Amino acid sequence: MESSRKQRWQQLQSVFEPGFKQMLLVSILLHVLLPVLYYSPFFPKREIEKPPVYRVNLVNKIVKNPQAGRPEAAPVKKKPAIKPKPKPAVKPKPIPPKPKPVPKPKPVPKPKSVPKAEPIKKKPAVKPKPKIQAPSKKAKDTQADAIKAMQAKRDRQALIAGYKDELIELTEQPKSPITGAPVGMMDGKGDEAGVSAIAFIQEFIQQQWNFSKYQAVGNPEAEAKLFYNTDGTLLHYKFIKKSGNSAFDESLIRAIAKSRQLPQSLPESMEFHIFFNLKDMLDNP
Amino acid sequence: MKYFKVSFFIIMTLCLLCSVTFAARIEISSPGEQTIPLAMTRLLPMGVGGVQSAIETEFQQVLLGDLELSGLFDMTDPASFLSDADKLGLRRTEIDFYQWRMLGAEALIKGGYSVASGKLTIELRLFDVITQRLLTGRRYVGKLTDVRKIAHTFADQILKSLTGEKGPFSTKIAYISKRTGRKELYMMDVDGYKPIRMTDHRSIVLNPDFSPTRKELIFTSYKKGNPDLYRKEIYTGRESRLSLKQGLNIGGRYSPDGREIALTLSKDKNSEIYLLGTDGTIHRRLTNHYAIDVDPSWNPKGNKIAFVSDRRGNPNIFIVDVHTLKVTRLTYEGKYNATPAWSPKGDRIAYSRMDNGVFNVFTIREDGTDERQLTFGKGSKEHPRWSPDGRFLIYSNDLNGGEKSIWIMRADGTGAKKISAAGGNDSHPAWSDRW
Repeated sequence: MESSRKQRWQQLQSVFEPGFKQMLLVSILLHVLLPVLYYSPFFPKREIEKPPVYRVNLVNKIVKNPQAGRPEAAPVKKKPAIKPKPKPAVKPKPIPPKPKPVPKPKPVPKPKSVPKAEPIKKKPAVKPKPKIQAPSKKAKDTQADAIKAMQAKRDRQALIAGYKDELIELTEQPKSPITGAPVGMMDGKGDEAGVSAIAFIQEFIQQQWNFSKYQAVGNPEAEAKLFYNTDGTLLHYKFIKKSGNSAFDESLIRAIAKSRQLPQSLPESMEFHIFFNLKDMLDNP
Repeated sequence: MKYFKVSFFIIMTLCLLCSVTFAARIEISSPGEQTIPLAMTRLLPMGVGGVQSAIETEFQQVLLGDLELSGLFDMTDPASFLSDADKLGLRRTEIDFYQWRMLGAEALIKGGYSVASGKLTIELRLFDVITQRLLTGRRYVGKLTDVRKIAHTFADQILKSLTGEKGPFSTKIAYISKRTGRKELYMMDVDGYKPIRMTDHRSIVLNPDFSPTRKELIFTSYKKGNPDLYRKEIYTGRESRLSLKQGLNIGGRYSPDGREIALTLSKDKNSEIYLLGTDGTIHRRLTNHYAIDVDPSWNPKGNKIAFVSDRRGNPNIFIVDVHTLKVTRLTYEGKYNATPAWSPKGDRIAYSRMDNGVFNVFTIREDGTDERQLTFGKGSKEHPRWSPDGRFLIYSNDLNGGEKSIWIMRADGTGAKKISAAGGNDSHPAWSDRW
């Protein structure tokens, strides 16, 4: 049997090229070395960065002071908005002072009443007094009532604090992958959720403006002033400067006519000085 | 008392300043929509002659085709039209603009027609729906066969009203076709309708060009054996040889003022660009190089000519100043650039370039910048020529290396469509000036 095995092994060895074993060994070593090197500090792993999540305010409510919508603007807002509110909520928590009065009466009467009842002398006599009173039913009842009342108060305060926290979360920070991401406009600096009247008007009038690139001759420019009241009604408008290109100017008149009534009211009567041109359209033919 | 008056004045001034509302500054640098929503009702009979559905359909089809090609409009679906579409009212006060505004239309075309003793009358109006104004209105009188012409003319008028510049739809396109088996000169409408054979030379006709001032064409023909330059009056059909120098007399192009013709002559054994008078006499030699110089094309000012030369090895586009004869190279990319055509606005030069055995249409500025490829895909697109307003380009296209046909597209390369009928092997298009 052994001889046949040896023969087979010899046959197998004859098939291999000289130096095969060394090559095989080197190959195995290299394969082993690869994961070792990979997990060594020579190959620092990059953590996959989460893409920034922008919250979009889908309700274009026009407000005077829209808040910022950029994640990087978050700390500016969070500090004034969140810090003052949670702090008062945390203060009432001083749960520690409450548990203190509870443990005091319990341990004091039990250990002290037993050993100090016999000597009857000295200061301990003052302490046992309450201990002696404690057993009295009235005192017990009053203490129990007080403890219950305090516990109830503490529970209420904790409950209210919890509600307040929830309320803050619900009102200020809707659910989002980025906790605490602010809601508002990119360039907002105020404290109201919504868009500014300027941004709204810009978008609205642009939507109403139809002009084909095939009508464009050069880069015409025009300026107009529009006066809106709080209802969002156009009171009057005037062109400060016309482009001289009749097709362009006519298209602006049509856009203004279509913007006679805004779909939303404005926070106040406003005047808009609008510059019309075709820069973006001509830059992206 | 004096102090009181002064302080009162200051307070009043401050109050006045405070009452002035703050003007928010806004910049809007592109329109929300880049098309004009347009509603077009069908032509309605105006009483005399009754309903002629053929007229209505043909007019609608031609006008719609022109307006769609312009790329200016977003047509409102006729299926959504309300009751006002069935009313003839052509006056501003007779139209219910509110209905059209509800459909989102900003412009409205309404029209009516009547036929009386073989005479066709079509009245057309273009309204601004938003401001409820009449933008343009026309009354056309003609024969029953003039429906297409009227539709094209009104399409030009619509473009003039909305862009300030007339459209090119009532112009003509000349081209070379092998419909009879030989290359002959043909002419057709901008939409490819009504092709008419202009020559019967029974040899080879090439390179047509319209005169900018007269109703005539020039072209090269091998009718007499030599490639001579011919002139043909379109309406009378009179024809004459304009240049019959020995060798090539090809690629003739009228100057913008119609007083001279630039063409290639090879009378001195080498092809060079010359200027001819309209009587055929040589005015000037523009190039003097041992290389081949062909395909001249004038700029709209008439002081420069773009042409093709292989003086740097491969065929490329060069520009020669007509007065100083200074030659500058325009194209550097590609190994084969040919058939330049200078835009009538002067801002760009169209030409065809061969890459991997296929020609495509490109445009470039006069200073060699902003080169843009306008056509892509299979088939060679050659011989581009501009519409008289510079809005469109025509060219020949041999789809998949097969039969050539004439195509039209906007100057930015969009909206390409075939206009010549099948079976002609059509090439070398040329666009007339406004007719």
